[in-house]
Amino acid sequence: MSTLAPPGGTGKGAVYDRGYRPYDGPRGRRGAATYALYKASMRRALGLRRSWRQKVAPFVLLGVVTIPAIVNVGIGYVTRDRLIDRIQIITYRNYVGVSSALLLFVALVAPDVICPDRRQRVLPLMFARPLLGTDYVVAKVGAITTIVFAFSFLPQVVLFVGNMLVSDSALDYFTGHLDVLWKVPSAVAILALYYAVIGCAIASLTDRRIVAGAAVIGLFLVTSISSGIIVGDWQFEGGSAGALLNVLALPLYLRDVVFLGHIDPDSPLNGVNGGGLLAAATYIVVLGTGMVILWGRYRWVER
Amino acid sequence: MRGVCFVRRIRRVASDRLTGVDAGPLLRIDGLTKRYPGVTALDDLSVDVPRGSTGLVGANGAGKSTMFRLLLGLAHPTKGKVEVSGIDVAEDPIEVRSRLGYMPEHDCLPLDQTAADVVSTFGELSGLPARAARQRASDILDLVGLDEARFRPIGGFSTGMRQRTKLAQALVGDPELVLLDEPTAGLDPLGREEMLSLVSRLGSFGISVLMATHLLDDVQQVCEHVVMIDAGKLVVSGGTASLLERTGLVTVDVGRHGQELVAGLVRAGLTATLTDDLVEATIDGDHQMDLLRDVIADLELPLFRLSTRLTSLDEVFLRRAGLVS
Repeated sequence: MSTLAPPGGTGKGAVYDRGYRPYDGPRGRRGAATYALYKASMRRALGLRRSWRQKVAPFVLLGVVTIPAIVNVGIGYVTRDRLIDRIQIITYRNYVGVSSALLLFVALVAPDVICPDRRQRVLPLMFARPLLGTDYVVAKVGAITTIVFAFSFLPQVVLFVGNMLVSDSALDYFTGHLDVLWKVPSAVAILALYYAVIGCAIASLTDRRIVAGAAVIGLFLVTSISSGIIVGDWQFEGGSAGALLNVLALPLYLRDVVFLGHIDPDSPLNGVNGGGLLAAATYIVVLGTGMVILWGRYRWVER
Repeated sequence: MRGVCFVRRIRRVASDRLTGVDAGPLLRIDGLTKRYPGVTALDDLSVDVPRGSTGLVGANGAGKSTMFRLLLGLAHPTKGKVEVSGIDVAEDPIEVRSRLGYMPEHDCLPLDQTAADVVSTFGELSGLPARAARQRASDILDLVGLDEARFRPIGGFSTGMRQRTKLAQALVGDPELVLLDEPTAGLDPLGREEMLSLVSRLGSFGISVLMATHLLDDVQQVCEHVVMIDAGKLVVSGGTASLLERTGLVTVDVGRHGQELVAGLVRAGLTATLTDDLVEATIDGDHQMDLLRDVIADLELPLFRLSTRLTSLDEVFLRRAGLVS
C-alpha cells in the first residue's frame, strides 16, 4: 500500500492507493464452489439481497401453508377446557398434502433460479470456475429442495409444538407421537426432492421464466386431469394403475406408505396390486428422468 | 472446516510471479487441433506463451474463442494438448480453472444483482471463503474504479462499467493467468483507454494476461508478446517489439522550426516532409542518420524528439498471413 500525499500539503490528509493484494489464504475446490452456488441459489429463491417484491412470493406462501397449523392449534387452545373430544382440523399426514401448494412456489422459483443463468449467459463464467455440470445440478436442485423442505416442515413443527403445548400433558403428547418425528421429515423430503427435480428439469429446457413456470403448472394439471379421466369413478369402481400418471399426486401415495404402511383406501390407487411398490418405482422413474434431463443440459464439457 | 473441504494450496507469492521464478512457459500448446463438423477451428497449432501479457490476434473466426474454451477445459481437443503452468488441461481441468480468470466478450452478468454481490459470489465460486470473497470483491471493484457503484444493480451500468465488472469477476479469485476476450469491445475511446490502462497494470500485480482481440492497436499498446493466428493456424509468435520492423522513416520534432528543418534536409539531399508540425525524413543507413543529426546541429534547432517509425502490427499480420505482399 502506498501513500500519495499532495505536494506542499498540510500532512493531515492522505490518499491511499490500496493497489492489488494477492490472495494466499485457503482455497476450496469443487465442494466449495458447489456450496457457494447452493447458497447463492438459496438467496435468490428467497429474494434475499433483492428488492422487496422478490421477497413477497416466498414468504406469503410460507404464511399460507402455516395458516392451517395456527388455526388448528388455536382451536385446540380455545377448546382445551371443554369436556368434548379435542377437535383436530388437520392431521400430520394431511398436512403434507397441504404442502403440495408449494408447487406454486416451485413453479415460480425454479425458473427464477435456473433460467437467467442461461438467458443472461452467466453459465460460461460459472463453468470457468472449479465447477462441473454435476455440481451445478446438485447445487440448484439442492437449494430448491432445501427451501421446499423447510417451508413444508416448519408448519408441521408449528403444528406439533402447538398441539403439544395445548394438550393436557405435553410429555404424554410427545411420547405418544414419536413416530411423527421421522414420518413427517421423510414424507416432506420425498415431496421436496420431487418438486425440486421436476421444477429444475423443466426450467432447464428454456431460458424464459414465464414459459418454464407455465410448463411446470401445465405438467401437473394435464397429468392430473388425464389420470382422472383414465381412472374414472374410483370410489365406486375401485382404483387403477392409471392413477400413477397423476404426477401431482404421486408423492402423496408415497406419503401414505410412509404414514400408513400401505396405500390409503380412499385413494385412486386403492385395490391395485403392489400399489405402493408401483408408486415408488414411478417416483424413481420420474426423478431419474428429471436428473437425466438436467445432466444432459449441463454436461457443459464436450465429450 | 464449516463442512467445506478447503485445500491449503501453497501458491506462488507475488514476488515469484513477478520475477518469473517458474522459468517454464505459462502456456504450452502442442499440435492442438479442434475440428467441428465441417469446420476446423484450430489446425495443428503449436506455440509456447511466456508469462507476462500476450495478445492473441486474429480475424473474427480465426479460432481465438475456441482456444479459450480449450484452455478452460470446456472443450476437448481433437488432437494435441494444452498445458497451463505444466498442468495438462485434459488431465486436471479443475486445477487449471482454479488458476485462471476469464472475461468473455459477450454480456454475461446477472443484471438484477449488484456488482458487489456478483463479484463476491464469483469469488466464492473460485474457492475463496465467503468473508475473503467479500473483502476481495470490495478491493477489486475499487481497483477497477467501481467502488462508488458497487451496490447498484448491474442492469443500470453503462457498457464501460459492465466491462469493468467483468474484469473484476475475472480477477477476484487472484488468478495466475487471466483470459480476456475482446476486453475493449463496444467501448468509447475514453473507456477503451481506461480498460487498456487497467489491463496493462495487471502485469505489475503478477497476473499474466492472454488477450484475444482483432484490434492490433490494443495489443501493441499493452502486450509484450503476440501470437497471431489465422484460420486456425499459427501465423507468427514472438515479442511485440521484435515483430515490429523499421520502415526507414524517421520522425523529428523541432517545435515551430519544422519548415526550416525540411528546407535544410532537402538542401542536404534528403527527402523530408512536414506533417502536423512533425518532420518525417526518409533515412537509408547510418550515414544519412548522421547527416540528419548534422543538419539539426548546424541550424541550431531545438530537438524535442527523434524516433524511428516502425511498422504497425496490422502490417506485420497482413504480410505474414500472406494477405498482402
